[in-house]
Amino acid sequence: MIDFQSGYILRPVNPVFIYFSLFCALLLNLLPIGNYGWVPDWLIICIVFWNIHQHRYVSVIWAFALGLMMDVHNSDLLGLHAFSYSLVSYLAISWHRRIVALTVLSQAVHLIPIFLLVSLFPVLVHWLLSGEFYWWALTGAIQALIEAMLWPIATRILLAPQRRPIDVDHNRPL
Amino acid sequence: MLIDFRFKALDPIRNNVNWVLRPLEYVMMAPRNAFEATSDYFTTRSTLDQENQAMKVRQAELSLLANQSEFLMVENQNLRELMALQKQVPFKTLPVEILFNPPNPISQRIVINRGSNDGLKLGNPIANDAGILGQVVRLYERSAEVSLLEDRDFAVPVQVARNGLRAAVFGAGRGNPLELRYLPVASDLEVGDILLTSGIDGVYPPGFAVAVISKIERNADKNSSNVFCVPVAAVNRYRQALAFLYDPQFDAKAPTLNNKSASGTPQTNTPGRRQTRARGMQ
Repeated sequence: MIDFQSGYILRPVNPVFIYFSLFCALLLNLLPIGNYGWVPDWLIICIVFWNIHQHRYVSVIWAFALGLMMDVHNSDLLGLHAFSYSLVSYLAISWHRRIVALTVLSQAVHLIPIFLLVSLFPVLVHWLLSGEFYWWALTGAIQALIEAMLWPIATRILLAPQRRPIDVDHNRPL
Repeated sequence: MLIDFRFKALDPIRNNVNWVLRPLEYVMMAPRNAFEATSDYFTTRSTLDQENQAMKVRQAELSLLANQSEFLMVENQNLRELMALQKQVPFKTLPVEILFNPPNPISQRIVINRGSNDGLKLGNPIANDAGILGQVVRLYERSAEVSLLEDRDFAVPVQVARNGLRAAVFGAGRGNPLELRYLPVASDLEVGDILLTSGIDGVYPPGFAVAVISKIERNADKNSSNVFCVPVAAVNRYRQALAFLYDPQFDAKAPTLNNKSASGTPQTNTPGRRQTRARGMQ
């Protein structure tokens, strides 16, 4: 793949690294931080990132399985996160050609609706099912914004292994 | 989602995923626990001294009370027997540890480290030394989810300690004060009244503190009063709590095993069995 920012061709991705990063994001989500609306959902950042950059390795099915885990952890209705994650990863996969070509900051702006969808989805479903609307829970929008702000950092970290130079010239270390 | 909401049919899946996930959750709790352990370790001597002093005084008071209460309890049981009243049911307690509260914008829950293997049942109340915290709403083998008092539409039947007026406290969602609903304007309530569990529902044993009235708005037009209360037990502060394995004999039994009684559609509407949440998601 081409890194559109620098114009260099990236090294091929290591699948082990992909799955390891997903696992780490899952663990980060399990951290007992508390029931706050703004805590970013690390897992969805990671899923969307790999959906956009390597959609052959991380597909909708992965998003579904990981979403199921988050449902159980959050004691939500089973399938809530599973559905929203897979919906979002479908969106991300269908947008990936457009989004990869943008600069990192405008990528983040483009991803705000995706993250908003994930964080507000439980509220919407609850509204559909029971007819009560939780205005309080709309603070999830802050979570989406924080996730969008974390996007450049995620790009930095998750693309780092692919940005290593292929031939290291020991005489001229750069 | 609909299947889970309407039929609660997916519990096996949930249990299995939970079985995989729980060890990871324990692993991720390690940093927090280590931090707390170190900060505990480095408490100064004087703090410990003070704490020790306070504990001693408290212990003396409590042992005095305990001696008294033993006598009172026997007397009470005898009197009840004489008057052919329903006996107070003794119950066991089970110390539980609060593991974490799952990040969920809608409900307010905690996960505890005891489950059906330890004899916990659906609907068992959870309390700490100050008062009632909540109720078990979903049971796994080695852990359980507890709905807290603050949870929306979570109801506890209470009695005002001062005059024995019966009412029900409802949760009003996260961060909102609890409400006493369905009370007429003229009811005898004051700010600062303590609400105890009345025990008429057969879920909570009678006589445990639940909340203190913090604000009363009397509304003469509608002949109703909005009464707001604050929970007695600090809900999000401690890590240890007690589960009451309370099962009064006069009550209709909880529907067996599966996570049914706690939420969703009314399966059993037997008198005495309270529906925790008539509608709403979880």
